[in-house]
Amino acid sequence: MAEYSCLIVEDSPMMRQLLVFALARVKNLRVTEADDGVDGLRKLASARYDIIVTDINMPIMDGLKLVKRVRSDPFHKDTPIVIITTEGSQEDRQRALQLGANAYITKPIQAPQVIATVKELLKIT
Amino acid sequence: MPDSKHNRTGPPSDPAPTDLRKERENLLHSFSRGTRLTEEVVNEHERLVSRVAELERDNAVLRAKVEADDAIRELLAKIERLEHEKQELLSHVQEVEANSSQFSERFQQVECEFSNLANLFVASNQLHASLSPRGVMRRIKEVLAQLVGAEAYVIYFANPEGTELVPIAAEGVSGDALVNQPIRTSRIGQVHQSGDASIDEEGDPSRGTLGNPPAILPLSVDDRIIGVIAIFSTLAQKNRFTTLDYELFTLLRRQAAAALVSASLFTAAERRIPGLEAFMDLSV
Repeated sequence: MAEYSCLIVEDSPMMRQLLVFALARVKNLRVTEADDGVDGLRKLASARYDIIVTDINMPIMDGLKLVKRVRSDPFHKDTPIVIITTEGSQEDRQRALQLGANAYITKPIQAPQVIATVKELLKIT
Repeated sequence: MPDSKHNRTGPPSDPAPTDLRKERENLLHSFSRGTRLTEEVVNEHERLVSRVAELERDNAVLRAKVEADDAIRELLAKIERLEHEKQELLSHVQEVEANSSQFSERFQQVECEFSNLANLFVASNQLHASLSPRGVMRRIKEVLAQLVGAEAYVIYFANPEGTELVPIAAEGVSGDALVNQPIRTSRIGQVHQSGDASIDEEGDPSRGTLGNPPAILPLSVDDRIIGVIAIFSTLAQKNRFTTLDYELFTLLRRQAAAALVSASLFTAAERRIPGLEAFMDLSV
């Protein structure tokens, strides 16, 4: 059975723990955590990931900058990206999607929604 | 001796006597009648043979029809059996579908329960993950912002005199709005006094205001109310409080202040771990 890898980029330990808990429900998904955008890029440079789940509001490098950088990386330019943020407006959603994000989840997050989005993007039934 | 009867060659015989002629005519007549009767009998026989053949044909047709009727009856019986089987299968399918739907519904409920428990576990785990007052406060604020979806809120502690609630942390509220709340006369103070949370269950919490906070939660340590959290508004997409929020409110009420007080005492004790004697004789 195929094994997938997911990179969670989130500065809040609480949110990271919550995302890890939620994604542990997806079979054959290996999860790696990064504290912010820079840490995320470092991890992306050393390994290949099948999906990236990132917060927008983070210190040092925010999620939107990370999306831009990932889309210019030949190894990860097609990797699905899920944006998680407190911003709920349609404009913010459009902005994230235009930059290359594949899905957008607003806080407070619901584990079933995160699981369903990741499964859909990885085409896991 | 010559046969005088058969070799008669003499002169023409005399005309037959009248009675002989009559007899001959009678004989001819009888013969003709016999012929007619024979013909009639033959015709009748032929007619009867033809009729028998006709009846046999009719009989064969009737027999075939009866056989066909039997086949139809058998087919009808078979159709009825199949219909019955179909109804049973349909009923079984409906039963399975109902079970499947119930299972799916139950599965979603369990997933939702799991999600809520995960949120509560993470919140509780994080509240006690730090032993510095600043770290605990940051985590209380994270629970409010990330899990509840609070956008504007203030955390108050009661002053030593027990007359006012003093803001000790806030988010999304301007500095000039951060004022002390009299315990006896303000709505926020009343929650401290009564120890009962005030939660607007019907309204949209994202439309809350400083004058009308949708949730005010008392903070207790060992059954003593020592402060209050007032949520003035939530994120725009959070337009009602859920079951999980009520559970998180209970958790904050019981654990937030305790974690904060413990961290403060630990810091005040210069982060010294008490000696072994402090843990002796604890077993009941």
